[in-house]
Amino acid sequence: MTQEITFWVLAVIAVCGALLAVWRRNLIHGVFALMIFFAALAGLFLLLLAEFIAAVQILVYIGAVGVLLIFAIMLTERVTGDDGRRVTARGWLWGLAAAVAMFVFLLLPAIQKADLSQTTQPIKPSVEALGHQLMNPYVVTLEVLALLLTAALIGAVAVAQGAQEKEDEADDS
Amino acid sequence: MTLEHYLILGAVLFCIGLLGALTRRNAVVVLFSIEIMLNAANLNFIAFWRFGENPAVLDGPLFTLFTIAVAAAEVAVGLALVIAVYRHFKTVDLEQLDTLKEK
Repeated sequence: MTQEITFWVLAVIAVCGALLAVWRRNLIHGVFALMIFFAALAGLFLLLLAEFIAAVQILVYIGAVGVLLIFAIMLTERVTGDDGRRVTARGWLWGLAAAVAMFVFLLLPAIQKADLSQTTQPIKPSVEALGHQLMNPYVVTLEVLALLLTAALIGAVAVAQGAQEKEDEADDS
Repeated sequence: MTLEHYLILGAVLFCIGLLGALTRRNAVVVLFSIEIMLNAANLNFIAFWRFGENPAVLDGPLFTLFTIAVAAAEVAVGLALVIAVYRHFKTVDLEQLDTLKEK
């Protein structure tokens, strides 16, 4: 019973947070709504007994991605963000129709038709086993991910620095 | 709580993200929306793992961990691109970035 109440509360918070993040005109408010959405999802992961994933969700999404998004907004837009321009793209009704059609005709029938198991097995805390799995069968994946993150770091700095500044540096030397 | 509840919640969140990616003009909001869609997919991975027959096999959480790492790399590069585009065009409005379009 408590589990059901928790699920519904977290589900409502997640859906409202996502909707606000998508629809708010003010981008900073949007980022905070997005952080609430990430927190609600971390709660759902805890409810599904994936405690390590919940911690990673909070650390990576709320801690890193949220702050990064706020920085990007402050570097590109006026912080208020509310200057009376149109928010939605031309033909936004088609986008709405596509999203609703995707849900009604593609995702919902698939979920209803599938033969889903309704039972959960009891499980033990999984952090230790996760660590062992990452070190034994998945070590190559882990290394590739580390390489990807390094490449993304260098690439992000290179792209954000811009060609112009590099030319200026070349002129100076 | 059954698996179906979690899957429907994941589908709803995915469609909200799709809606944002298709209808908003600001490039940063499109990035938000992509993050929402990735999180909806993560919720499905974890739900399938929890309701699966053998939760001692940790494929669901491992896959989610890898998705989160890739999403973090994606958002860093995406925001760098947004900043580069802003520096070049002085706007992040996707409707004004139509240099490749035939006039």
